[in-house]
Amino acid sequence: MSLPNTLRTSITPPELELIATQQLIEIIPLVSMERTVFISGVYGPLRPPNKAKVPLWIAVNLKMKRKCHIIAPNWLTIEYLQNQLALETSNPAFSELPFRYMEISKVLLDVASDDLEQPDKLRSLLKDFREARQAKSREGLKQLDHSELSLPNLSTMEINEIRPYFVEAMSILSRLALPPPRSDV
Amino acid sequence: MDVDITEPDSPLEQLTRHWINERHAPDILPAQEALLSSILDHLRRQSDAVQLLRGDPSTSDDEHLRITLVQLDIERVKFIVRSYVRTRLFKIEKYARYITSNADIQTRLTAAERDHASRHADLTDRHFNFSVLQSLPEPQRHLDDETPYYMPPMVSAPDVTRPVFVHALVDCPPVVLPDGTRHEMLKGHISLTPFSVVEHLIARGEAELV
Repeated sequence: MSLPNTLRTSITPPELELIATQQLIEIIPLVSMERTVFISGVYGPLRPPNKAKVPLWIAVNLKMKRKCHIIAPNWLTIEYLQNQLALETSNPAFSELPFRYMEISKVLLDVASDDLEQPDKLRSLLKDFREARQAKSREGLKQLDHSELSLPNLSTMEINEIRPYFVEAMSILSRLALPPPRSDV
Repeated sequence: MDVDITEPDSPLEQLTRHWINERHAPDILPAQEALLSSILDHLRRQSDAVQLLRGDPSTSDDEHLRITLVQLDIERVKFIVRSYVRTRLFKIEKYARYITSNADIQTRLTAAERDHASRHADLTDRHFNFSVLQSLPEPQRHLDDETPYYMPPMVSAPDVTRPVFVHALVDCPPVVLPDGTRHEMLKGHISLTPFSVVEHLIARGEAELV
């Protein structure tokens, strides 16, 4: 089949990661590289020890060869996340986080945990976020009707997680809301 | 790392968006022939350059790093192109019969896609005919009978009322929801709403599916 069954209703987490790794991040390169044309854009030159902005996938590739240090984005710090988590738990609304925060933080914690401050603490903070936000998503199900549900600040991965259930629930609600068809007697 | 990018999107970013939209939309979206062929061209040029550099013995170690990265880039783009094309192919085959009888959806396909749809519809028709239909009584041989409302239609059509998650890229003009109320979507807003409500915003590139 042209599209496997598992890919038909939703996008998969690895595909979301592929998209997220296109975002730019700052690195301190340990090798030099000329300005290079990629299909995704033109990046470089890399001149150690000057900082450079490259897509996350290049940063990950260099990092795995120990050829750069990745500079954590400003939202992936203990201080920022702690403040944000306080907002998250005291507010009924979703707090503001980068749209693809889950994918990016996972990639960074996986390959560059030595470039982050207290990676274990970061992990547990991110887990707290996940739990708090998941609970809110479930609450959101109560407000579901047949026409519209606003979900400000929800991130891609979270949307993907609730998609199958929410989409199906809303389809059923809209079928119920349809005016009854004229019976052909 | 913020989503707030003011510069125009690169061709790849555009293709990525079309790919995701296509994956989530219940209907077939307008074909992106020009964009796709320009990316395929670029892919070919990059692959040729890599081939050339690989075959050259004077290529230094530093160059090898660049070559690996360029190759990785090529593979990433190929994945997106393939997945995009396969998604369209899947929908075209699924709705082949509907496409052959609907002029509106045909405008959203390329010539090659239209051709494929009609050939696919013909083939399945012939197959059904030979395997089953020819042995049935004449009135039951059709594949496009009108069905009463309590039965699913014989020709499957895209269900545009299927809800989708939509993300406004700019401040959008208000949309009209199925219950008749108007709904304002400002930049960055995320909604779950039937596809038909936001179809025009997607087509104009003012919103994307997520």
